[in-house]
Amino acid sequence: MADTSTIVGQTMLIKGNLEGDEDLTVQGRIEGSLNLTKTLIIEPNGVVKADVSVANAVISGVMVGNLTASDSLEITDTGRMVGDIRAPRVIIVEGASVRGKVDMGDLEMPRPASDRKPVYTPKPISRPAEKPKPVVKKPPKKAAPPPKAKKAAPPPKAKPAKKKKKVVVKKKKRR
Amino acid sequence: MANVIGSSIVIDGEITGDEDLVVQGTVKGRIALKQSLFVENSGVVEADIETQNVEISGSVTGNILASDKVELRSDGKMVGDIKAPRILIADGATFKGNVDMDR
Repeated sequence: MADTSTIVGQTMLIKGNLEGDEDLTVQGRIEGSLNLTKTLIIEPNGVVKADVSVANAVISGVMVGNLTASDSLEITDTGRMVGDIRAPRVIIVEGASVRGKVDMGDLEMPRPASDRKPVYTPKPISRPAEKPKPVVKKPPKKAAPPPKAKKAAPPPKAKPAKKKKKVVVKKKKRR
Repeated sequence: MANVIGSSIVIDGEITGDEDLVVQGTVKGRIALKQSLFVENSGVVEADIETQNVEISGSVTGNILASDKVELRSDGKMVGDIKAPRILIADGATFKGNVDMDR
């Protein structure tokens, strides 16, 4: 038995969900969703209107929908595709027509960094915003020699900081 | 045979077409063909079937409406009603359901 290959013939229409662990050749039509652990081949007459998740895909026919390939996607010169593509390897040959986003994954490494920035920024901003007020009270004490002022400064910092923090907390509770 | 649903394939939905279809995998839902359906030993069909001919060596659950012939082979298992002018049930086959050969 040829259980390594499934063929959907020219006059065939499959509507619904299709799942499998073997190659699938489409000469007809598939609508719905398609999940394969191997290769999807859409032949020139084939039409797939589905969200597709496969290891490899070779599109010579028409593909409408989002496609995720864990390995590669090739759109040949007769292939037409409308939809978003996610695959580490994407091959689009001259003559092919494609409309949609292409995401090749590894290129998006900068994204996590941009996610971290907002996490850091709110905390530093909020804490210094409270501290500058105690700093304003320091200058009179700075009249003394600079080295001593630095040593003397820490204890006063602690006291006003505590008072102000308490005040802030009370305000929040009242609100 | 042009159309093969391989043994690891699971289809949940509807299959329609004008050609022969060989099912080695699993199909749930509905199958409507203008030609023959072959359910092979590893094939599992849980669907209402509307075709010209059906040949069952695997397992079918659902009703069959065939315009010509339904053949239940010796390995075949079938639960459901069959309506067809010609119905063959081989020795060894399992079948539960109604048979209607009116025509």
